[in-house]
Amino acid sequence: MNENDPSIIRDIPDFLAHAIALEFESVERYQELADSMDVHNNPRVAELFRKLAHYGELHAHEIEHHALGIDLPEISPWDFKWCTPEGPESGTLEGVHYMMNRRQVLEYALCNEQRGRDFYAGVAEFSPDEGVRELAAEFAREETEHVNILKSWLLNLVEPDSVRPADLDPPNIPE
Amino acid sequence: MSGKPADTLLKAKDYKSEVKPVWCPGCGHFAVLSATTKALAHLGLPQKDVAMISGIGCSSRLPAYVSVYGFHGVHGRALAVASGLKAARPELTVLVAGGDGDGFSIGGNHFLHACRRNMDMTYIVMDNEVYGMTKGQASPTTSPDWAESKLTPHGPGVPSFNPAAIALASGATFIARGFTGKPNDLAKLLVDAIQHPGFSFIQALSPCTTFRPDQNDWKKIVRPFEQEATDDPVEAAKRIHADDGMSTGLLYQTKVPVWQPERSVRAQIDQLELGFQV
Repeated sequence: MNENDPSIIRDIPDFLAHAIALEFESVERYQELADSMDVHNNPRVAELFRKLAHYGELHAHEIEHHALGIDLPEISPWDFKWCTPEGPESGTLEGVHYMMNRRQVLEYALCNEQRGRDFYAGVAEFSPDEGVRELAAEFAREETEHVNILKSWLLNLVEPDSVRPADLDPPNIPE
Repeated sequence: MSGKPADTLLKAKDYKSEVKPVWCPGCGHFAVLSATTKALAHLGLPQKDVAMISGIGCSSRLPAYVSVYGFHGVHGRALAVASGLKAARPELTVLVAGGDGDGFSIGGNHFLHACRRNMDMTYIVMDNEVYGMTKGQASPTTSPDWAESKLTPHGPGVPSFNPAAIALASGATFIARGFTGKPNDLAKLLVDAIQHPGFSFIQALSPCTTFRPDQNDWKKIVRPFEQEATDDPVEAAKRIHADDGMSTGLLYQTKVPVWQPERSVRAQIDQLELGFQV
């Protein structure tokens, strides 16, 4: 990455617009997955996704607070400077399954938080604006905390990998 | 940056309805929902001015999840219903949604004629090469050797339907392919398609995580078209046939007059009744 790279975030309003979109898109994805797991009779996983959405929302509002009084740019979805197809903390669709268990949910969330941390760390390293670098470094530290929390949850999870809800209506695939 | 007017208040989530999708977690169709709502928000279209029409199938549930006018119609007849709506209410933005089975098999004939009729509407087909709602049978776009269905244990054995080629041959004026693994790119395609005057067709590669888990590998092979879109149908045909169906972006766009039936009153009811007198 060089200083003429169009993907570099150059000012605070642009950075905060990215951060807010990143956080709220992630919350929306977790809520969507929670609803979807409810529909597919996987209530324990739904509950965990809802918990992740709740914590994500608290963090999103904190970031929104940083933007109070700042005129944020309106950015089209395809003009965000992500290195990922969507916001870095939005989990990929192929990473989930209606039969997934809570360990897999936490592993999924961990990957999302790591991508979020890496995004902020990248901005902290490459932005030409000192204010952006400082704020991004702060956000990267917060994401690192989230990563560590998820790692501890994973360590303390007693559910073994093999625990899966029963599939009463499995896909009709030949044996 | 967007060129959206500053006073536009609706955000993408405002275009989502209260109905929760029944799609399997991980289904590509979630990304089409996301792309649709983002496109509508970008364009700032009032909800009352948009109608989404569908047929039958997993993907055809989309109108229920979008907070615009919707009609969940008969299998394969989404384009016919949409054409009628557009004829009666030309001021509406008409979006049509469905799957590969609904659009290319049951509704295949309507697809041909919608392409050549060139009414101003957008048709997005969520193509997962399988009938998912009925638990995984081969569809028109399934490859001949897909042998994972009990109905076709040795594969369908016939060449798969090429949606872009058929659309081009039938006279479509906007042909694009998107991928649900890149929902923001898909949103941009939808914006361009909605703004295109005439019939716009988007084939959205949308993996079925339950009956086609192999399609999770599509993300490794999908890539953008190497060239800009062309307005030359011969060149477009060459590109379509040289492609493996995994290139994405706008492939072909041309401008020809949009067809819209006359709305002038030709006869009053009492005059018509005279013709039925015995």
